[in-house]
Order: sequence, then C-alpha cells, then structure tokens
Amino acid sequence: MKFLEVFRFELAYQSRRVSTWLFFVVLLAITFHLSREAFIEKAHRGGYFFNSSTLISEITVLTSLMALLVSATLAGDAAARDVQTRMHPLIYTTPVGTSAYLGGRFLAAFVLNALILVAVPIALLLATLLPVPAPEVIGPFRPEAYLGAYFFVAVPNAFAASALVFSLAALSRRAMASYLGAVLVFFATVLSWLTVAEQMGRWGLAKLIDPMGLTVLVELSRSWTPFEKSTRLIGLEGSLLWNRFVWFGVAVCVLALTHMRFRFAHHTARGWWGRRERPNEGSLMQPDAAEQAASARRAPVAVPRVRRAFGTATQLRQMLAIAWESFRDIIRSWGGLVLACLTVLLVITGPQIAKHLDIPLFPTTEQFTGFLSQSQDLFFMVVPLLIVFYAGELVWREREAGLSEIADAAPVRDWIPFVGKFLGLSLVLVVLQVLMIAAAMTTQALMGYYEFELGLYARVLLGIQLGNFLLLAVLAVVVHVIADQKYVGHMIALVAFGFMTFAPAFGIENNLFVYGSDPGWSYSDLSGFGASLAPLVWFKLYWAGWALLLAVAAKLLWVRGKEREGRSRLRHARRRFTRPIAGAAVTAGGLILSLGGFVFYNTNVLNEYRTPADWAKQRADYEKRYGKYDGIPQPTIAATNLRVEIHPTQRAADLRGTYRLVNRTAAAIDSVHVVTDANVDTRALGFDRPATCVLADSVFGHRIFVLDKRLEPGDSLQLTFDVRFARRGFPNRGIDESVVPNGTFFTAQDWLPGIGYQKSRELNNAGDRRANGLAPRPAFRSLDDVAARWDVKGAERVMVDAIVGTDDGQVAVGPGALRRVWKDNGRQYFHYATDAPIRNEYAFYSAAYAVHEARWKDVAIQIVYHPGHGWNVDRMARSVQASLEEFSKRFGPYPYREIRLVEHVGEGISLHAPPINISYQEGFSLLNSNEDPRDVDFAFAVVAHEVAHQWWGDQVTPARVEGAALLSESLAWYSAMSVVERTYGAKHLERFLGILREAYLTPQSRAGVPLLQASDWFMAYRKGPFAMYALREYVGNTQVTTALRRLFEQHRSATPPLATSLDLYRELQLVTPDSLRYLLSDLFESNTYWQVATTQASAEQVEAGKWRVTLDVKARKVVVDTIGVEKEVSMNDLVEIGAFGPPKDGGPGEPLYLRMHRVHSGEQRITVMVTGKPARAGLDPRNLLIDVNGDDNLQEVTLSAMKSAADTGAAPKRR
Amino acid sequence: MDLQIRNLSKTYANGVHALNNVTLTIPRGMFGLLGPNGAGKSTLMRILATLQEPDEGSIRLGDGSSGTGEVIDVVRQKERVRETLGYLPQEFGVYPNVSAERLLEHFAVLKGIIDRRERREIVDALLRQTNLYDVRKKKLGGYSGGMRQRFGVAVALLGDPRLIIVDEPTAGLDPAERVRFLNLLSGLGDNTVVILSTHIVEDVSELCNRMAIIDRGKILLEAEPQRAVAELRGRIWRRIIPRTDLESVEREHAVISTKLLGGRTVVHVYSDVPPGAGFDSVEADLEDVYFSTMAGHFGRPSQQPVLEVAS
Repeated sequence: MKFLEVFRFELAYQSRRVSTWLFFVVLLAITFHLSREAFIEKAHRGGYFFNSSTLISEITVLTSLMALLVSATLAGDAAARDVQTRMHPLIYTTPVGTSAYLGGRFLAAFVLNALILVAVPIALLLATLLPVPAPEVIGPFRPEAYLGAYFFVAVPNAFAASALVFSLAALSRRAMASYLGAVLVFFATVLSWLTVAEQMGRWGLAKLIDPMGLTVLVELSRSWTPFEKSTRLIGLEGSLLWNRFVWFGVAVCVLALTHMRFRFAHHTARGWWGRRERPNEGSLMQPDAAEQAASARRAPVAVPRVRRAFGTATQLRQMLAIAWESFRDIIRSWGGLVLACLTVLLVITGPQIAKHLDIPLFPTTEQFTGFLSQSQDLFFMVVPLLIVFYAGELVWREREAGLSEIADAAPVRDWIPFVGKFLGLSLVLVVLQVLMIAAAMTTQALMGYYEFELGLYARVLLGIQLGNFLLLAVLAVVVHVIADQKYVGHMIALVAFGFMTFAPAFGIENNLFVYGSDPGWSYSDLSGFGASLAPLVWFKLYWAGWALLLAVAAKLLWVRGKEREGRSRLRHARRRFTRPIAGAAVTAGGLILSLGGFVFYNTNVLNEYRTPADWAKQRADYEKRYGKYDGIPQPTIAATNLRVEIHPTQRAADLRGTYRLVNRTAAAIDSVHVVTDANVDTRALGFDRPATCVLADSVFGHRIFVLDKRLEPGDSLQLTFDVRFARRGFPNRGIDESVVPNGTFFTAQDWLPGIGYQKSRELNNAGDRRANGLAPRPAFRSLDDVAARWDVKGAERVMVDAIVGTDDGQVAVGPGALRRVWKDNGRQYFHYATDAPIRNEYAFYSAAYAVHEARWKDVAIQIVYHPGHGWNVDRMARSVQASLEEFSKRFGPYPYREIRLVEHVGEGISLHAPPINISYQEGFSLLNSNEDPRDVDFAFAVVAHEVAHQWWGDQVTPARVEGAALLSESLAWYSAMSVVERTYGAKHLERFLGILREAYLTPQSRAGVPLLQASDWFMAYRKGPFAMYALREYVGNTQVTTALRRLFEQHRSATPPLATSLDLYRELQLVTPDSLRYLLSDLFESNTYWQVATTQASAEQVEAGKWRVTLDVKARKVVVDTIGVEKEVSMNDLVEIGAFGPPKDGGPGEPLYLRMHRVHSGEQRITVMVTGKPARAGLDPRNLLIDVNGDDNLQEVTLSAMKSAADTGAAPKRR
Repeated sequence: MDLQIRNLSKTYANGVHALNNVTLTIPRGMFGLLGPNGAGKSTLMRILATLQEPDEGSIRLGDGSSGTGEVIDVVRQKERVRETLGYLPQEFGVYPNVSAERLLEHFAVLKGIIDRRERREIVDALLRQTNLYDVRKKKLGGYSGGMRQRFGVAVALLGDPRLIIVDEPTAGLDPAERVRFLNLLSGLGDNTVVILSTHIVEDVSELCNRMAIIDRGKILLEAEPQRAVAELRGRIWRRIIPRTDLESVEREHAVISTKLLGGRTVVHVYSDVPPGAGFDSVEADLEDVYFSTMAGHFGRPSQQPVLEVAS
C-alpha cells in the first residue's frame, strides 16, 4: 500500500512539472523532423522501406540516446529530491520502508520515462501519414515493427538508464549525479560503437558493452541486405537478446545494490578528505563553559576599524575574487575529475590517434591538433556539455545554497558576478587546453617524437578552439542568466548547442546565421594555415560582437534580489540601462553590423553564395539544358601548349595556352562546344580560323562556336585561351586552397576549357536526381553498352608542353620531362614537355620542395616532398624501382623517361596516379611502417599499386562502364602483390594479404553484382584482387601474366573500342584449363561466396616421419544476388588442403603438405599423408576462396596414439 | 511509556565527541533538554529519531505501565520506532509545489493510515489543530516560516505517536506563534513521551515537568524544574554594578550571569552564604539553574542506578 502511494504520488508530482511535458513535445518534434528530413531519404537510398523494423529501431535507439536527458531528470529528481528540498528528515522518520520508498520512486520515474518515449512511435506514424515525394518508400504498416522497436529497444534502454542514474543519485544524494550518469551511459554507448567496434574491430565485445544497443543495430544495418531490411523483423534474438539480457542484469544488480546500501539516515557531510582529518585538528571542543563565558565578557566590544574602498580597483578585485572562487568550485567538483580523466584518456589513446588502418604514423603535432580541435568524435562533445552544465551551476550557485540574499545585498556592482563567473569558467577552459597540450606532448614524447611545435599547439588549441569554447561559454552563461529555472536553462542551452552543431542538417547553411560558426579552417605541415585563417578570424570577431550583445542583455536581466518575474526583471533592466551599458550595446551592434557586413560582402557579393542544394540544382539545370548535346561529334584534344604563371603569395594563377584539336570522328564537325569552369575567369577564347560564337551562356559556362568552314575528319584546328584563377575575399563554404603561398596544387583539367558537353557535371546521386526532376540513371553504364566503348572521353592521349613560372625558392612540377630551369625577373621557370602522349590528366604543383633522385635504367625517379617529411622517401624510391622492373618485365615497357611522386596538401592518406606524376597527400608521408607490429611494409605496397596504375589506368584506360574498376584498381593491387613478393618474399606477402583481408571483418552485406560488373570499393579494392590472386594460385602465375600481357598490348594505346572487364575475362579464359573454368566463372561471372570450415583435425603417426592426417570439413557455396537473396549451388571444387608444422618466430609453421583436393558440398572427411609432424591443418589454409569467415579454415591437430601393427600392417616403432 | 537511554556515546569522524556517556530516563509527559549550541542536543534528537546511530549505548522504548509491555530497541528496531514516532526537526524543507493537504495525506499513508475515511478525518483535524485549514489547498512554497513549522507539527502528530521528538521548535517563531505552539504541545496525550530540545529556558519552565541540561555531550543535570529551582533558593544574589567593576567582581565571586538593564550591568552570583555588601537575594528561576549548572556550581549528574531492567 505504501509502495502504491509512493508510486502514485511521484507519478503525479513529476507529471505536473513543465519539463516532463516539454520532453514529450520536443522528442515528438525532433523525431518527426528527423524522420522526414533524413530517414525517409536514407531508406530510399538504401532501397528498403521506411516502415521497416530496421529503420524504426535505428531511429528508436537514436532517440533513446537523446532521451537519456529525460531519464536523468526524472530519475535523478525522484531519487534526490527529498535531500535537496531538505524534507528528508520528515520522510525518513516515517515507517515507509526502503523497498516501498525506493521502489515506488524508481518505478514512477521509469514508467514516466517509458510513457514519454511513446512520443517516438507517434512521431514516426505521423511522419508516414503526411505526404512524401516518393510514397512507395514508406512501405506497409506493420505494428510488429513499431511494437518491437518500442519494447525491445526503447523500454529496456529506459530501464537500464533510469536504474543507473537513479542509483547514482540516490546513493550520492545529489540530483546532479544523475546527469553525470546519463553522460557516462551516453559515452559508453558511443565509445563502444566508434572505438571498440569500428576502430578496434571487436564487434562481439562492443555489442555486449553497449548499454543502448546501438552497436547491435549498426551491425544489423550494415550486414543485412536491403531485402532483409525491408522484410525481417528485429526480434529478441541473437546479439540483441544477449545485450538486453546483460544490461537488464546490470540494471537489476545496481538497483539491488542501492537497496542494500541506502539508509534512511542523516547524512553527515564528509568531503573526500573528511576521513583523513586528524582528531585534534578538527576538534570543535569548546573550552570550559565558564571560561568561555568569562572570556566572552572580557572580549572588547569594539572591532577594529577597516578602510573600505569602492572604486575601480575594488571592482576589479571583486571580479577577480569571484572568478577565482568560480574556478575553484568547478575544479574541486566533478568538473576537475572530468578534466583529469580527459587528460589521462588522451595520453592512453594517443597512439591510436596516430594510426591509419592500424599502421602507426609518425606522431606529428598537426595530427594531434587536428584530432583535438576538428574531430567530430564524441570525445569532444564532453567539453561543450561541461560548459553548459557549469554555466548553470555557477549562475545558480548562490541561489541554490541559500546564500543569494546575503550575496545580493553586498556592495558588488551588477556586472561583477556575471563577468567574474564567466572569467572563472574561462579559466577552467584555459586549464583544460593547457592540459590537453601537455597530454599530447606527453604522448608524442612517449612515442619517441620530440618535434613539439608549441606555436602550432598554441595557435590551434589556445587560439581557435579556445575561442570557440569561449563563445559557447558566453552563450551558456547568458542563457542561464535569462532563463528562470536551471533545468529550463540547460534545455535551452543544449538545444542551442544542438542547433549550432547540426545546423546544416536543418537546412541552414549560412555561417552568418549560426552562432559561433565559421567556414572552417585547415592546417597542414606543407601549407600551414594557408588562407583559411583570415576568414576564420573575421567570422569569430563578428560572433564576438554578438557575444558582447548577449553579455549586455545578461547584465541587464541579471537576477538580483527576490523578484524573479518577467515584469520586474524588465523594470530592473530599464533602470540598469546606463550610459556605459548603452555604449557597450552600441559597440556590440556596431561590431555586428560592420563585421557582418564585411563578411556578407565577401561571402555573398565577392563570391557566390550557394548551398549544396543550389549546386545540385545548377548541375541539374545544366543537364536539362545542354544534355541534348551529349555524344555529338566533337574534336578531341591532341596537344596542349601552356604557359602557367603561379603567384603563390597573391593566391592567383594564370594559364595561357592553345589546344590543338583534331577531328577523330567519321563525320564533319561544324560547331565546337567549349565549356569553362565557374571557379576561374576564362578570357580570350579564340580559334585560328573564322568562327562565330552563337551561344555564350555565362551562367553555365557553355559556349557554342559555329565554324565558318566545317572541320573535316582528320583535320585539326587551334583553340587559344587565357584562364585566370584569383580568389577574392572568402566564400561561405570555405576558401579554395588551390593556390597558396606554399603548397599550390591544382589539376589543369579542372580549370582549362573542356570540349563538348561535360557529362561529368551531371548529378550521380539518385536522390538528388529525383529531387531535381531528372530521370533516374544507373551509376555506371551497363557492360553491354557497346556505344560506351567508343566514348573516349577521358581516355584521349595528348602531348603537353608547359612552361611553369613560380616564385623564387619554390619548385614547380608539371607533366612530362623537365627540359629546362631558369630564372627571369625574380621568378623561377620550369619547362616541362612530354616525350610521348599521355592520358589527358595532369596537375601542377608549386612549393618549397626537396627532391630525392633515383634511377631505374633510363628512367629518372624523383620524389618531390616537403622537407621534414622525408621519412619514407627512400622506401618509396625503392618501391618505384622494384615496380618498374617488375611491370616492364611482365606487361610491357614504361613509355616515359621520368616518374615522380609529388607530395601535396592533405592530411589523408590517399594517392592518385595520373600519368608520370603520382600525387600523394601529406598523411602518406607519415606512415611509420617500422613500428608496425605486423611487420608489413604497407607504404611500399601502396607505391607499387600506384606505379601499377601507370599500366592499368593510364595506358590501358578502360571504358567507363561497370567493371572498369576491375581493370584499374583490382589489377593495380594484383600487380603490387607480385612486387611485394619479389622484394620481401612470400611470407611477407601473406602477412600483407592478411591486412587486406581485414576488410572482411567489417560488417557488410554480401549482396552485390558479379566482379565483372564491379563498381564499389569493396569489390574493386578487395574482392577483385583476391580473386586474381586465387586464380594465380590455381592456374599459375605465368599463365595469368600471359593473359594480362596480351590485354595490355591490345589496349595500351586506348584507341576505341576501349577495354572492359569482358576483355580481361576473355584473356583469362584463354589461359585457364577446362578443369578450372568453373572457378573462373565462380570468381568473376557470379557473386560467389564460399563457406568452408574445418571442424576437426587429427593425426596419427603411421611410420617414422609420416603421419596420416584426418580432417572433418564442411563446405558450401552460395551465390548472392543484388538484393541479398542467397542461393546455394552444388560444389565439387578443387580446394587446397594444407598441413603445417609448429609455428616458429611468431609466424606460421612450415607447410608440410599443400595440394588440391576435390571437395563437395556438405560434410566430408579427407585423409592425407603428411611428411613431418603436423601442428595445424585444414581446408583452404591460405584463404584462396572468397570466404567471409576465414578463421575456421585451420584447426589445431590432435595427435592420437599410434595404431597397432595389425591396423597399419607395419611394425610400430617402440619409443 | 518511557524511554531508557543508557551510556549513549557518539563521536563524529572529525573527532568531535557529540555525546559522551549519556544516561537518561524519560517518562511520559514533557521532557525538556536544555543546552547551549553545539551541546549535542540535535545529535541526541536525531539518534532518538532513528536518523543516526550511536557508537555505544542503548535506547529502549518501553510500554511499561499500560499496554503490551513491549520494549523496543530504538537502535536496532528502527522500523518499529518509526511506526509510533513523530519528529519535528530543527530545520527542514518541503516540496514547494504541492499543497499542504496533499502532502499531509501522503505522509498519512506513509505512516500507515490506510483507511481513506480515517485519513481524511485525521488530516482535516490536524490541519484545524495547527490552524492551517484555511490555507490547506495552497502550495507549500508560498508558506511563511511559521506556517511551515506548523505543517511540520501536523506531520509529526500524524498517527497518534507515542514518542514525539521536537528539536528547537520555537527558535524562529514570533511571540504569538510561540505561545500557540506551546499550547498545542501541552495538549498532547498523557501516554506520550515528548522530548523538547531547546536553548530557550522559558520553553522548559513553562511546559516541562522533567528536564536535563546537556553540555559538550555530557548530562550536567537531570531533575524536575521546580525542584531544581527550589534547591537553588537563597543561593542566588544580584548586584548592579558599573561595567568597569565587572572584572573585580568576577575575581571575587562566582558570577553566573551578566545582563544589561538600562545600560548598567546586572550580575547574578551564586553563593551558599551571603556574598557581602551590595548584593541582594533574588528569587531563583530556571535560568539561574541553567547558568549555575553551566558554570559548574550546581549540578547533580543523573543519579539513576545503571540497572538493566530484566524484561
């Protein structure tokens, strides 16, 4: 009965609070908005229903994370309200009983939480009821999906969260502890997904330790096919069941613990150090009463007189005193602990930051500043949350302690507490940044790297990021000053912060409208901050103006005294509006208007202001207007003459030159279309023969010239152009860093005029196409599209002659051989010219580079790199030498006499291989393969891959249809494999393949097209190379090389018809014996996956040195179609059986037996005779067959006793 | 009904001896616990109210004369005590946005009054008794200090408790409220133990028929107020002196209290024999008892034999 009363009372009490209803409404609104803006589109793109169990559950788990705030508020209040209102002596002395009290309170909080979460399915239903552009996406309504999501995801999450935060609050007797608990649960969830699962790859563990079940759902989302997503129901089974079970158990245990430890007792406040105080120190023993009375009477009645001053110096002192007090308050509470934890966490996870794909990188400062300031990781949502939270604590501190009347009556000016508290909070932030710097430097030192660039740390962390934090702090403090209740203030501040972070998702792109935002900044070792710092500063100053205005508002509306209603506060505000305040307000307004105007001038007048939606529309309009010119006969570029003047410090470049255009079609051409880029100023377009410009569309940059005399087939004409790139001001999106004082890099084809309709401008994304009213179009053209093989766009061969001028002290790189270097008029000039035609893609670079020279036969190898990034230069040169040697022997000659690797700005690791000049981002130079515990020279392999592209991609340029990636990327990786093997040996290659195979571990759906139509990353970069490698092992290295050489010789000149994967397949078929044709077909013609496993391996010694190994294996082969439907096909394949000796030197053991056997579908037993004592044996030990789960191929061999002589027929050897 | 406190001791973590071997026997009726701030009164009250535990000692609540003869160990049987306990703490808060009526009903259920009709009756009765009936539907956040105090009294009196513990109840009340409160307390039933802890001597003299004086965790005196006053008859002397003479008077006599009267100093002195010229004999009152005890001249620590009542 008491339990019921406690429960009912609590339920009624909390339901009457405004915040409860606010939660419901806000959750409803956010879910509704998210569904319509983001999730319907996601379902459409993914090809499954919106009403699917998967998507509903995903949305539910996301809202569960948001609803942690709800749990914290409800449960924290239920647990700690009695102590906070100091009503606990009344309640605790009633015979209510721990179970009734705690149970009733908790249950009420949980039930209310669960009821609030009903807002989610309601919002989802509403979202489906209102009209959408593509109604078929919604799908049939299935109550099981909604009910399942609610009862299996939302409610257990609410239970676990409520239990945890309730216990924290009840045992610590502070409602604030519940918010801390909510933050911990939030981070546990996100960390288990992002770090444990995604980064460390331990999905199994992550799924268990994730309190909200997010990781489980993410995995399902990745690995289910679209068909499964639409139809399957997420039920309480498998990982989800385990996760719910574990966390239900944890919640119950925690509640039980609370029940055990909770006492209806008076709490003697004992700080952390209370226990340590020595008795005589803290003794409050009063002296003898008589003595005390006597001494009291003897004490002088008068107190010493002191001087009191109230001038500016005092005000400053008061402000500093308040600032210091606020600082100490935060540091000595949970905030200080959080700071300490963050620091320690950073030191511990530091090495993880400097890693790519598990390969260690040199821990340069730039990586740490990047991680600490730009990372969207949740690691750094901690600080904004801390700011918002402590802003509230500081503003409400006196009122909550009951001290406000005394403090408000003290002779302290109104602005002093506001500024003082803000300063205190700022000091905490400064300390945080300093700690972060120290932690990062410690990590660097621990990794043996001592180039701490303190200036960079200071500029980024104490300059840019601290500025961001301070702006947020102003906002948070002001919100709390103006809001009438602390929790309302928290909610507003959090919503504001959410808006600031996710503004683009809500459709607001303009940085002038989102508090604190800026167009982004970038830093790289090569180019420094480039040009990105100045726009950032302008924006921040603009927002500082707003911050000042907010501060003025806060000062006016500061609560002093007991009058808290709106009207009294406005009255006070009017009285406080003195001249200095007015002055400050006017200054703020002036700053806003002037800076805002300046920024606006830059972003909207000097540059065009475009949102991504605007850009998409522009591209769609281009297609609608000019798409009809696709495929009409146009001349192709045969030669380009350029004079390039790069002005790095002015961030401008001039490109002047001529094309020699040739009519390579069979028809006469009477009009030439010239398309110019929007980012540059193209002037002086002219032909060497009379031509009239009949259309000059400056919006789209499309011009049509009609030639007076038609251009006959084989004839040529010249086009002269003058292109200027110059940045004026800065745009909203972020500044174009193509030409910068150090580290200029731009691709000529981006800026130079293009001939004919530019199909590359079309929209590819199906959703964008739909939104803009374009007909859907497959991402790649079909393999059967014969006409596509005759489309040489992008495969033309040109001769290039370019003179590049740049500032003195910089090295400029261009296409072809370097003919001459000279100085003129204080500038440095380089003359580049190609000896043989190259594919028409090349870039220009200019920076203060260092150059490393090497040679292979008569080819000059140059590594052009940023001084200071030279760790891998030797390795790269060696890889180029080995690759040139290997590929020219295997496939065909390298047609040029120089090859370069050029470093350019970018923190990523990607490389790109246009002809001759391979470019790589700065991040690549940081690879520290020497420290890689797996002992694989990854950088070496990657360079070999890029050099291979000179054959596969730059010489053999495939037609732009499905499966093109097979010819370029898969063959590049396959070629690189042989370089690795030849240089480092077969074992190293095995280790390297093991790294590549880790891609199988990431959950993904096996639905897909056959390799011949390969179009996604996984097919091109992993499955393709593995298929080629398997073929090599089955058919033979020389045979495959023969096929590839023939393919190369036929298509190296890229004359139409261009090569497709079918050509490769035909060549492979010619070298594959009949007995293995099935394998070729399985690997390439259908999307085949094998599932082989060895269940048991045993061996018995038959005679000296000979063992009979018995393997129990099972095998299965399935073909998976594009929506994920699996069909088993019968298997009677050759599969390698292997037995290995004991492992040595940390590597696998010696292969004792490695031969092909026929394996059929299902379970079977295979017996082989092996020379030598086997330790491990199994089916397909080298994972040649494409099997997602490759760990179960090998088993430990259980050795059994010798058989008796009667069985074996040989005399057993006595030991 | 009586409360037997035996050898109670409690030391706080910071070394303070809050209670030092306290032994008291508290019978039915009003018992006053008098002492200065920091004497240990609140600690003792909280221990009796089951909110704290002593380090040593025992407390037995017995239903000796009438009733079942049951003896409850207050320290170990907290739940049983709470069933018959009414506690009005020195300071407490209330939920600000609940009405007095609703919260009192809530407490009534928590105190075991399950029957709805009975509950309504007693809630109404208590609200009338504490003069809160007219404002019973208003939210407690809007109550004044005195009204909140009266609400606390109503909560304490719920369920006809047999043990009522009142900690410094009149400290913040105006004279009229104080009189009302004391009247209310005096009207409590005969079969109840009421312990009133205070540092206002008048409260004890007006209301209590037994009292104890406690200082620094030790009981200095346990007696009936009237008897103590009677014992002090003829030993309290008064003299009006200028302030400058205070020191010399203190040196020569046992000054127990000093007051101001119209700017001049009035000293009370304890002396078995007439102290001399200038001193008048005065009627001793409880305040003099208090000061004398505090000064150490007077005081008979509890002479109760420490017998364990075998029951």
